[in-house]
Amino acid sequence: MSRSGSSIDVIRPPEGSALLERLRGQTTARPTVDPGLAGGLRDWLEDGLAGVTDGLPVDAAPVRVTKEALTGVLMCEAHLMARRTSPRTVTVELARGSLVDALFRQWVTTGRLDDPWPDALGAVRADGDTDIIDFLEAMDAPNSRELAREVAEHAAGVVARWPVPSPTWLPRTQERLVVPLVGGRVVLSGVVDLAFGGPASERASVCVVEIKSGRRRVEHRGDLHFYALLETLRSGAPPFRIATYYTRTGELDVEPVTDDVLVGALQRVLAGTVRLCRLAAGTEPTRTPNGLCAWCAALPGCEPGQARAGTDVPRRVGDATTDDDFSLLAETDTGGGGGDDEQELEE
Amino acid sequence: MTVPTTTGMSLALPRAAALTDALLAPPADSVRAAEITALRAELAGELVALAEELPVGERLRLDGYRFDMARERPERCSAADAPFVASPVVCRRAIGLSALARCVRRWAPTPAVAVADVLAVGVEDAADAADQSSGRPPWWAAWYRSLPAGGRAMVAAEAVTWATQVWTALEWERFAPPPIVGSGDDWWDCPGTRQLTLRGRADVRVRGDGPPVLLVVASGLPPADWRPALGFPALVSALARGETSVPCRVIGLWPASGQVRILPVDGPALSTTAAAVVGAVATWVDARLEAHGTRVA
Repeated sequence: MSRSGSSIDVIRPPEGSALLERLRGQTTARPTVDPGLAGGLRDWLEDGLAGVTDGLPVDAAPVRVTKEALTGVLMCEAHLMARRTSPRTVTVELARGSLVDALFRQWVTTGRLDDPWPDALGAVRADGDTDIIDFLEAMDAPNSRELAREVAEHAAGVVARWPVPSPTWLPRTQERLVVPLVGGRVVLSGVVDLAFGGPASERASVCVVEIKSGRRRVEHRGDLHFYALLETLRSGAPPFRIATYYTRTGELDVEPVTDDVLVGALQRVLAGTVRLCRLAAGTEPTRTPNGLCAWCAALPGCEPGQARAGTDVPRRVGDATTDDDFSLLAETDTGGGGGDDEQELEE
Repeated sequence: MTVPTTTGMSLALPRAAALTDALLAPPADSVRAAEITALRAELAGELVALAEELPVGERLRLDGYRFDMARERPERCSAADAPFVASPVVCRRAIGLSALARCVRRWAPTPAVAVADVLAVGVEDAADAADQSSGRPPWWAAWYRSLPAGGRAMVAAEAVTWATQVWTALEWERFAPPPIVGSGDDWWDCPGTRQLTLRGRADVRVRGDGPPVLLVVASGLPPADWRPALGFPALVSALARGETSVPCRVIGLWPASGQVRILPVDGPALSTTAAAVVGAVATWVDARLEAHGTRVA
């Protein structure tokens, strides 16, 4: 948006060829790849993590570093641990995210979205996401109708604004990225909603897009930067662009991937991974009051959190969907969000 | 002759060139027929003794998945024979391989187009099979045909992503003749028992003048001890087809992590893998006995 005098001119969300132009840019203007960059970043990470895993039990599972774990541990270690020990709570936002994600995936893959609600339900059932299915089946009729209406709005926006990517761009959805470090004791992982472009040779050639069904937040940039780093380490070349697309509004945030972006992501990964390793080794989590204290399961035993929240009774997740802080907790990311890279069973 | 290794491969761009080089490199040492004969006899002897412990009427089919599970997560073997449940993730390899084969034969320009073709044919075949008017459709086709549009889209999406990762991992035009994609599995029925079969599988088989080279595509990360995992399809191929079909090397590709491992196949590599097979079969036999409550601690 831009201000002109007292009025606000809303820039229309990009659509059609304009949207693709912002994602693809000029092929000739894409940055050349420094073939030593990925190795240098990996060495930097290995050096930074040297000795950090020494405190872990010998038979400990790898410390998994996802975008959620990173954001969580850097915000408040105690809150992250409380979330990990609490049962997964499905909210309307989480369910909507899964449904919209499935529809976006369907659109990109097949170019057809005939009936969003049954299509989305069919997708989550085929995927076997029982938590989401159970939640949806337990919804009462009015709430279910409201969610179906919302999902249809998101789908209509996708259909209206997103051209179906050409198969020659090699689009792939829910691409898993896994980067082992420290001999596999630390594993960085994520799932990219949409990537397109073939493998890099002399020039960067991959664009990574994250899909969000919730509101726009500055924290989403950190997620994208993390994925840019993962893709660089995995493939040997950075993406040329990273983007977040908001299905509710059609907003598209696009960013070129520079060395500064990668170095910033690396430093954030190092800071978060050191903390995650300490927690995995049994160190008492530190408490850092923040906007999510009111929803923290550990609030009854956390004095700093109580001071921040003004109460010792945690709010129930889903109580206040309009609360800005809560939206970070509610996982409105439509993607798999990482950590979904268990060795899958394959026929 | 220099045996290709992964040293330096991670930094070379485009990576497809280095991986293709590794697949096309000439063979180093070959495994002699006498070695395979001896290995087959020794392995059969050990496996028959283990198979005899299986509960009456039970058969064990050791494929790569069960082999890996026994070595890496043996505690799961007891509960591993749950009913098979199809899903987009479970189907992606089978559909993706058929799609890759179409791309290699130039029947389709891209993995996405090829996957759509494969799925459409699968639906037709499943319908014909339901009418009993044709042969057997792919194992996933009837399930896929039963899905609503949204579910079918997820199957297509998973297969496109998988096939695209493999399609972009190699410089396919450099293979002459074209490699065999998703060729039939190798089966070896252990002599002396009807209760044990080994099943080996490779995703791509490159054939030139010499012995073949196999490419195995896996998910996630390479296991810490990846050699037996790559040696398994080579061993089963040797046991089932004899020395002329023993691959000279097996290359593992883990697209999610960009990792590549190369196993030169020689006598010691096959022997090591055979020992791991004996261990894995023992683990599975124990698990079956536990499930029947007949294992005495």
